[in-house]
Amino acid sequence: MPPRFAHPDPASDEGGWWSQMDREEQRLRASGFLIRDKALNEMVSGIACRLAGAHCPDLRVYLVRTPLFNAMMAPNGMMQIWSGLLLRMTNEAQLAAVIGHEMGHYLERHSIDRIRSAKTATAVGHYLGLALGAVRSSNAGHFANAADIALIAGFLSYGRDQEREADRIGLNLMTQAGYAPLEASRVWEQMLEEVRADPMEGEDFWRASILFATHPPARERRETLAELAGSAGGRTGEAEYRAALAAQRPAFVSDELKRRKFLQTRVLFERLLKAVPDDGEIQYALGEAFRMRDGVGDAQSALDAYRKAQAMRGSPPELYRSMGLLERQRGQHAEARASFARYLELKPGASDAELVRRYMASE
Amino acid sequence: MMRALRALLPLALLALASCAPMVMVAPGPAAVRDDFSVTVDSIWNRLTYPGIVFMAPGASEIWTAEGIPLDVLAFYIGVREGDALGRVLERGGKPLASYRAGMTPHEIVELYEQLVTQDGSAFTLGRLAPHRFGGADGFRFEYALTRKHDGLALSGVAYGAVIGKRLTLMAFTAPRMYYFAKYLPRVEAMAGTAQIKY
Repeated sequence: MPPRFAHPDPASDEGGWWSQMDREEQRLRASGFLIRDKALNEMVSGIACRLAGAHCPDLRVYLVRTPLFNAMMAPNGMMQIWSGLLLRMTNEAQLAAVIGHEMGHYLERHSIDRIRSAKTATAVGHYLGLALGAVRSSNAGHFANAADIALIAGFLSYGRDQEREADRIGLNLMTQAGYAPLEASRVWEQMLEEVRADPMEGEDFWRASILFATHPPARERRETLAELAGSAGGRTGEAEYRAALAAQRPAFVSDELKRRKFLQTRVLFERLLKAVPDDGEIQYALGEAFRMRDGVGDAQSALDAYRKAQAMRGSPPELYRSMGLLERQRGQHAEARASFARYLELKPGASDAELVRRYMASE
Repeated sequence: MMRALRALLPLALLALASCAPMVMVAPGPAAVRDDFSVTVDSIWNRLTYPGIVFMAPGASEIWTAEGIPLDVLAFYIGVREGDALGRVLERGGKPLASYRAGMTPHEIVELYEQLVTQDGSAFTLGRLAPHRFGGADGFRFEYALTRKHDGLALSGVAYGAVIGKRLTLMAFTAPRMYYFAKYLPRVEAMAGTAQIKY
């Protein structure tokens, strides 16, 4: 590992870029999209620090509420991890794999190479403004315009050799920190599953994620990473990961539903349910995905999902409200009344209680 | 405050660049389209090209008190069955869900949420309750919105009613700090005078 990087001379080109990055970081700190949850921040920063070793004091990790799979690290030590990525990881080792990879780019100063090779000041400005401030210019499903993503993809596209180097470093860092290296290839395997679910949506998904738009194909990375990991063992940290994510996960799940990428969302939720079969929160969310898609047969699929969730751990009271809304739509008045009553029983102080009582009276 | 203003600057520039002309709405009775009216007690400004406003894409009409980067009063008048509440923000974007007669206020709120979060803004529903609006048994809801563009925290209140299977919605959104509270009483009073004439 190289020694810690000194702050560059402010008069140098790199010093100028650092100042710009620092300004972007200031904006990020004030953003309403920054996730301030203590347990989650401590878990993620803890992993980052364990991986960074001597570089830990130079590292600042920011969790950003955006439902896309993305992480990035700037040369000044600012790392961003988006909520869509956090929702998709199933344990600490997987998150360590992503952080390790980004740290690989940082330690090898790949993005400084990229900025330096940008030909014009405008290009550098785009890199700093768009890539680091992507949280501002992106949105849940796509970027503000196609030109933005093309720019970001162009400026962030590390060379294939740089990617391989980052993968190798990331894997070493996570192994040294005691994490199971095989989880690195699982990250990409999981993403492939989601993308395969719908080629059209998949294409959009790759475009919408900076990480995906610019890295070599997931398939290649999965295979290389699995090979490099070999049969080495290590910690996965599933329970710890779930516990740290618990308070924020309902919001992340709700953001995921709002992407309206049903096929990908379904694969994601089904995968999470395979990992924890009695996860009532995710089973309920699967029902919500069907209800919101509102296609032929979706109401029945949603009701089936809600019924399954009833017996599971952590299913929210809103489950009964959603059931009631669907039953009402289908003219099942007695069932709707019972579902609404159950909702109010579980959540007597609900902020919509008066309205739900009115639904019941009209059933 | 300075930081808030600086954060708003890009939006202000956007509005300027897009040439958003406004006309004054004077105190007294004011019509929105042909079939909705309210009585206002202070000056508002009506946008003549409302399509550019991210906080209310495709609204029938948009008013503002301080200017678009700050506050938006959006009217969605007489939405018919099978139509979306507003419009898709970006060409080629995923179509919005359509309004259906018989939808509950909960489902109508979901339509509204989908409309105003197309740019990636974060929406959180607050109180949702029955409320008389436009001479009908309608509903009122409160919400919080974190604007994608600048991460600014906004608050909102909306009033809705379905008459003759057509939906009318009036929604006010402004920065949580200072502006929302400043205009809320005026908006509440205005909502109380709403008349739906279709």
